[in-house]
Amino acid sequence: MKFVIIGNGVAGTEAAIALRHRESDAQITIISEESDHFFSRTALMYILSGQLSHRDTEPYERDLYARMNFVRVRARALGVDTKGHQVRLAGGLDPVPYDRLLIACGSRPRPAPWPGSDQAGVGHFVTHQDLTWLERELHGGVSKAGPAPQADAHLAYSSPDSPYRVRPVAAELRGRLARTGAVIGGGLIGIEVVETMLAAGISPHFLIRERWFWPVAINQDESTWMAQRMREHGVHVHLQREVERFVVQDGAITAVRTVDGEDLPADVAVVTIGVLPNTDWLAESEIQRQQRGGAIVVGPDLRTSDPDVFAAGDCAAVEWFNGMRRPEQLWYTGRDQGRVAARSIMGDDVRYKRSHWYNSAKLMDIEYTTAGLVDFGFDDMWSWFLEETGTVRSTTRIVCRGQRVVGFNMLGRRWDHRVLIRWIAERRSLSWVLDRLQQAAFDTEFVPRLRIPDEKRRQATQPA
Amino acid sequence: MYAQGQNGLMSTWREHIRSRGLAAWILAAVMMGFYVDLYWFDHLEPLAQALGLRNRWFLYGGLYCVLMVVGGALYLRRHGNSRYNQIRISVNVLVQVLLAFTLPYVMPLLGGKEFYFSYFWPLKYDLLLPDTLSKLPLYLSIYALVGSLIAAPILAFFFGKRWYCSWICGCGALANTFGDPWRHLTSKSTRSWRFEQVSIYLVVALVIFMTAVAGLGGLVGDAHPGFVSFAGQTKHVYGFVVGSILSGVIGTGLYPLLGPRVWCRNFCPMAGLLGLTQKLGRFRIRVKDDMCISCGNCSAYCEMGIDVRSYAQSNLDFTRAACVGCGMCAHVCPRGVLRLENRWDLNADKDKQHLVVLDF
Repeated sequence: MKFVIIGNGVAGTEAAIALRHRESDAQITIISEESDHFFSRTALMYILSGQLSHRDTEPYERDLYARMNFVRVRARALGVDTKGHQVRLAGGLDPVPYDRLLIACGSRPRPAPWPGSDQAGVGHFVTHQDLTWLERELHGGVSKAGPAPQADAHLAYSSPDSPYRVRPVAAELRGRLARTGAVIGGGLIGIEVVETMLAAGISPHFLIRERWFWPVAINQDESTWMAQRMREHGVHVHLQREVERFVVQDGAITAVRTVDGEDLPADVAVVTIGVLPNTDWLAESEIQRQQRGGAIVVGPDLRTSDPDVFAAGDCAAVEWFNGMRRPEQLWYTGRDQGRVAARSIMGDDVRYKRSHWYNSAKLMDIEYTTAGLVDFGFDDMWSWFLEETGTVRSTTRIVCRGQRVVGFNMLGRRWDHRVLIRWIAERRSLSWVLDRLQQAAFDTEFVPRLRIPDEKRRQATQPA
Repeated sequence: MYAQGQNGLMSTWREHIRSRGLAAWILAAVMMGFYVDLYWFDHLEPLAQALGLRNRWFLYGGLYCVLMVVGGALYLRRHGNSRYNQIRISVNVLVQVLLAFTLPYVMPLLGGKEFYFSYFWPLKYDLLLPDTLSKLPLYLSIYALVGSLIAAPILAFFFGKRWYCSWICGCGALANTFGDPWRHLTSKSTRSWRFEQVSIYLVVALVIFMTAVAGLGGLVGDAHPGFVSFAGQTKHVYGFVVGSILSGVIGTGLYPLLGPRVWCRNFCPMAGLLGLTQKLGRFRIRVKDDMCISCGNCSAYCEMGIDVRSYAQSNLDFTRAACVGCGMCAHVCPRGVLRLENRWDLNADKDKQHLVVLDF
């Protein structure tokens, strides 16, 4: 049996490992353009700042490929010949034949739509190559932990439209490192880049189109609270400001011009306006994709429109807990989809289905935990909200429908999402939950427990 | 500055002295040279006298205190937004300054005995020898015996070996203050783990052998002069190899190259014995299921070389004998996945229902 996996991110690698555990003799080939080794993409910001080395971010030791007998091909896939059962590669390499194919090629950054975005100094922060670019802009090169292994090994086997190419570096044109910076797009990657710019001594402009930061995850109260924290750290937060174009001088940007005509000085601008399924290379292939966004259409068994081709991770439009079909761009869902896809490929009657939504993040020094429904606009939804001041600064928002708790959105403290989800599944009331909230606390030792003032406790029984 | 308030680790690999650059090698050479001079020469005596200190060991103690206090302040600038770190490091430095320097200096002035309340057998390897015990006042002999043989393991059983290694011990105090900038350099390789498992229990065996032989030597007394001299030599060799070379010259001298816990991880018999107790006891690191993003911060900043991530990404609560409970893995985790705890029933509270439903 020949298994081919496109992508060695978390979905592809976990699938490969699951396949190997069951099929010790199968030939398993992993095609990746970006990197020789599976690494944690969520840790890119730590390599940039110098907190981690490349090897630190690799979840398995590098002998994984030898131990598991995986064949690696470092090249860009150009398409799938579903009739001939083979994957076409760039750079004149021979096509790779398969019996079963898993596409787990992830996301690519959503391109910047503004004039000047092809100039030096503008880029993204999604790939290893983006990391290399930003390291050069902010620090003049890699940290003393060294460069990515074989960073350029794919260049001869790539194509010009690849997201895995290093962008032109403004600092090298200008002859000095970036002193000012801008981050465009108020999401999770945006705030990570803001944090690494602060660590590099730059107080960046943070341009957010929406009325508040990260509207998909936090509400206006929470975001106002977050914006205060960011401003305390020296970030220039600009809400509801859109970009008109980049101001360019001698091939490198010098500022970001907003639609209201202000030039915000920026030697480097990182565009973090989301990611898209990395599936353009499938344009000529007979694999069905969604009209909008281009994610690969899969069934509950993660099989695509072609019976021998499967898809998992950021590139696959899976069914969400609420019935929507779109990619779930999360680490743990990518891992789980990879494992489910592997079983599906081996013929198990298996389905991928999410129960409750949950996630966590760290927004600079603010920890964030969410579980359940927090913003899905049912008429009878309301929020119980508590802002804590003092030694620990936090916000706690518990979302209810009537008296029943359906979601949690927590900033500034650590919570055990497993307990929160259990309470949602058990259809607990708000009073019940508030009486036991401490059971879900996951703060480190000696952190004072969250105190709920009496008048807040009384609000549990009266919908706002 | 933001980077210090939130996370002082951000620039780790962009600093020469923390990245095994030339400065780190020079510092290591200087430190090793200092220990050689301290242990086997007396060049430092005049300086100690000039400063009004009793001998060069008090000069060393004073220097140790300065490094702990200054290093502790820098540590708090890096990690001070964690309550656990604030309390732990303050207690550890305070204990050392009071019990391992001030009190031993003051007690003889008041007509008492120079005694170190913060050291126990087997770290202080001659504490339980008949020679030592017989020279102590009764209450101190009882303190030494009960502390070493009863209190230390009981505390480790209930709270993990961290009660000593990260809250009391002088080696731990220096490692976590002055040595903290190099904590990421501890090797996480499987090879280093294999080495540790052999080396540390070898030293444990040695110290037990040495103590038994010396104890016996004290008991048989003049009846067997050959045996007494053998016991003396055993103690001397142990003191030279373990007490001076492994704990001082290598254990501390190599901070800038191999991380600050070379001694604690590979050679300290106290850590070895308390680690075994810890494995049987209540201390563990709890892992929140399906939340780890495999970023690697926990493993990278584990000063004991534990690959914490391998447990975190597999949803496994764990107790490792090596863990000194410094709390850094939990502190640096960007997803709040880890928590240090003292409780029973490893993995018992795990919600066995997986959060992703597989329909068959």
